[in-house]
Amino acid sequence: MTFLVQAYAFLYQFADSFAFLVLCGLGLAIIFGMMGVINLAHGEFIMCGAYVTVLTARAGLPLPFAMLAGTLAAGLVGLILEFLIIRRLYHRLFDSIVATWALSLIATQGMLIVAGPSIEGLKTPFGSFELGEYSFSVYRALLPLVALSLLAALYWLFVRTRFGRYSRATIEDADMARALGANTSRIYSQTFGLGAALAGLTGALYAPTMTAVPTMGQAFIVQSFVTVVVSGADVMLGLAPSAAVLAFIQSLLTKSYGQLIGQIGLLLTVIIVVRVLPKGISGWVLQRNAGH
Amino acid sequence: MVNSAISRRFATTLIAGALAGASLLMSTHAFAQQPIKLGLLEDQSGNFAIAVIPKIFAYQLAVDEINAKGGVLGRKLQIIHYDTQSDNTRFQEFARRLTQQDKVDVIFGAFSSASREAIRPIMDRAKQLYFYNNQYEGGVCDSNVFVTGAVPEQQFSTLIPWMMEKYGKKVYTIAADYNFGQISAEWVRNIVKEKGGTMVGEEFIPLSVSQFSQTIQNIQKAKPDVLVTLLVGANQASFYEQQASANLNIPMASSVNVGQAYEHKRFKPPALKDMYVTANYVEEVVSPASDDFKKRFRAKFPQVEYINQEAANAYDAIYLYKAGVEKAGSVDQEKVKAALGSGGICTDGPSGKVCIDPKSHHTSHRIYLIHVKADHSVDIPKVWDDIQPYWLGSVGCDLSKKPDQSQYTPSNLPKK
Amino acid sequence: MFWSAFGTIVLAAAVLPMFVNDFAITNLTYFLVWVFMALGLSLIWGYAGILSFGQTAFFGLAGYTYGVVSINLGEGGLWTWFALVVSLVMPLVLAVIVGYFMFYGGVRDVFVGIVTLSITLVFETFMAQTAGPEWTIGSARLNGFNGMSNMPPLTIPWGETPLVFDGTSFFWLVLAMGVLVYLGLRILVNSRFGNVLVAIRENPDRAEMLGYNVRMYQLLVFVIGSVLAGMSGVLYTLWGSYITPSSMGLTAAALPIIWVAAGGRKDLTATLLATVLLTWLSQQLAVKGNQYALIWMGAILLVVVLFAPEGLFVTVWKKLRGRMRARQAEPSPKTASSTSA
Repeated sequence: MTFLVQAYAFLYQFADSFAFLVLCGLGLAIIFGMMGVINLAHGEFIMCGAYVTVLTARAGLPLPFAMLAGTLAAGLVGLILEFLIIRRLYHRLFDSIVATWALSLIATQGMLIVAGPSIEGLKTPFGSFELGEYSFSVYRALLPLVALSLLAALYWLFVRTRFGRYSRATIEDADMARALGANTSRIYSQTFGLGAALAGLTGALYAPTMTAVPTMGQAFIVQSFVTVVVSGADVMLGLAPSAAVLAFIQSLLTKSYGQLIGQIGLLLTVIIVVRVLPKGISGWVLQRNAGH
Repeated sequence: MVNSAISRRFATTLIAGALAGASLLMSTHAFAQQPIKLGLLEDQSGNFAIAVIPKIFAYQLAVDEINAKGGVLGRKLQIIHYDTQSDNTRFQEFARRLTQQDKVDVIFGAFSSASREAIRPIMDRAKQLYFYNNQYEGGVCDSNVFVTGAVPEQQFSTLIPWMMEKYGKKVYTIAADYNFGQISAEWVRNIVKEKGGTMVGEEFIPLSVSQFSQTIQNIQKAKPDVLVTLLVGANQASFYEQQASANLNIPMASSVNVGQAYEHKRFKPPALKDMYVTANYVEEVVSPASDDFKKRFRAKFPQVEYINQEAANAYDAIYLYKAGVEKAGSVDQEKVKAALGSGGICTDGPSGKVCIDPKSHHTSHRIYLIHVKADHSVDIPKVWDDIQPYWLGSVGCDLSKKPDQSQYTPSNLPKK
Repeated sequence: MFWSAFGTIVLAAAVLPMFVNDFAITNLTYFLVWVFMALGLSLIWGYAGILSFGQTAFFGLAGYTYGVVSINLGEGGLWTWFALVVSLVMPLVLAVIVGYFMFYGGVRDVFVGIVTLSITLVFETFMAQTAGPEWTIGSARLNGFNGMSNMPPLTIPWGETPLVFDGTSFFWLVLAMGVLVYLGLRILVNSRFGNVLVAIRENPDRAEMLGYNVRMYQLLVFVIGSVLAGMSGVLYTLWGSYITPSSMGLTAAALPIIWVAAGGRKDLTATLLATVLLTWLSQQLAVKGNQYALIWMGAILLVVVLFAPEGLFVTVWKKLRGRMRARQAEPSPKTASSTSA
């Protein structure tokens, strides 16, 4: 019995890390993984989603609707920023570093000025359940399922829908797509907005589990980038395996040696994986399949 | 010929630019002789702004009150504040600016120990009088530095025995994995052993971590009676909500939360249920001095979110400086330092009487035990009066006899 | 004629201490300290096309090495200079290892950025927890997040009163080093080596096919740039007598990239000017603008990147050149009248 409990405890921990990495990486996977925009303001989209969720929930909106509001707010902000700023940078992607860094400064400081250094947070919904000597948060146990569903939904979106196909075509070869009749600027806009909305959703989902401060984006940004880069060129294919590998190693190390080794281990794993698979996980998979 | 014309233009522009740049860099000679200049190095933005903004208000409150009564030695006090943005390099830049350009008479500031340690060499080099007004891991034995913040012997020697007596002798510590957390954890370990308890676990967590599922599992496995939490920063503060959602339900003890960043006001109940904190002041203290202080504070700064212990320290620091200047009869820094360290320099602040100990340059404190209840209201089950900062003196730091510029820890004691 | 202007500026800077006060000099020194890392990154990224996001790892390694070695060996004799040399050797060694690992392992493009970022973050996380007494090298405590301090300044023994490089003398030292590095880099980028770098940046495969050992060039340029980052690290540590793990964190790592990108990464002079200007500007904003400082900084960077796509100074320089050319193209009245007469 205790073996099952311990096994579940580890599985829970792994799933928790996995969910965190997937959700961190989702929005960035689209904006950076697919579109190539190095979005250093990714954490701030997450913060935006979290803040809007908290504020609307405290104003009385039921939590699921508050989360939806957070997601939509981030998506809207993404659309506006794409229109004003990002679309001028598609042909010079390195400059998106400076632009998004600047946006991140403005967003963080602006939020501090507008909303103060912190706002009262939310309670994590659903309570807890017990298993052996442990008790777990129900909500956090559900997050991995949410992460997986989102991955599946995105896969469906990008592979099976017209929008998805147009989007991938435009990103791959904008001139050809335009020649074939696609409204490329609208597609870029919508894809970016989608990425921003997903980041907002991450913020919304984690808002009831964390403190809401203007700098909360910093808790996500590093994990986002490493997960997305390790997943390789085809993010839809690579994100889940990337998150799984990194989460597994991080959980194992944290459990055995503590949080410090877990954090360092995560970063070292990234270095080693990139060295061993220089095109990321999906690059390696595609290369293997191409050989057959 | 075309090229040389361009190059000549460029050269002229470049020289002009350089000269303009040089003139911008030239100092503006500080002419104001009359006001006494108080330099402020506090984080008005960035990660630490939450706990520091009330401090900034408190300094201003004290200065305005003193000026309204005629100032010090007939001179008004003037604050020169630079927002250090929770960034150590800004602390260094602005410390230089305050000492070398603005030539202030005293500096107050720093929140994190790292920022204090970043500027202490600069203070020492300039022999600048410097007040550090934050609770921290203790041990700074520096002739130029005076500390109004609480130290471990004041916070842990009171808190840990009380918690062990009430809840049991098995203690688990989770601490931020850096100097403050490690040294504080060492203090906890020593006190637990001294009182016959057992450390059933100790976990050190890097500052960037915000997800605590594994930590929660480890705690549950160890089954402690008391959980000592020494968590710093917004990332780590997420622990409280996460442990509540996992229904950890173990009484918690801390020296650092609630009193600084008022987590009990920012987190939804019951995240901080049964949290016990020792602080030298919180807003919830009810006493004539505290009530009057709060009234004046809110009258002047109605926007303050919470009047925390650092605000009380900052307020007291200004009045202690005033007392030192008045005893010395001048603002000459060597004279003021000597006066401040001569004994008998006290102020009656929001938490009662606070005096500077000549051996360590730290202040005595009244320590309140704050208990956060399930609905996040607060009661104060115990108060310890006049706890001296005895540790530094007991290990050999005596600034009244021997100058020094170091920071000591239980495992790095002064050489005899 | 560029060089006469350059010489004038250097001369002006050298005599500056006679006209301005101590603070202005130490402040200017502070801005100059960062120039080395920026120039190194300009070389690696602008000229060779390798986006390294972890130059701060070398910065921190050099700074800590100086601290450890100089605290242990003391300030007597020429030991502080020995410490300086050692603290440049350490980043060199690390850069060789990391560079070999990456370039000979086929790591390219954005992956280089992620690997180097991970390295600097590993350093930061590791160093931040070295607070305990067991983390001592010789007599130097690493002191974790609180940082290491009290390392001696560079000293030359001179009988009774040794020459201590502090304040104005330190400014001259940094200025001299800056001039040497700048000149050295200019020679380097204008040489064959530099041309090959640019060829590799534009099309690595073609360069490979033309017979150039691309990986060796990448490794070399990475090492040079990283040693420069180390130089900034040592000078920063000397300037403030302090080094801390947060110098290796994410924000610190992003800053040189911002300076280099905003100034014009493909041009050394533009990078130098941008670094000094941006560090000065962000300080001024923080001094004057209180809580809006960071917002102004962000807004200015946005404007620069949107309207000066090749970097601020490069764009300004090109516009100036364009206008001067246009003016030269107008026929002069004298010539016209002489022909018609």
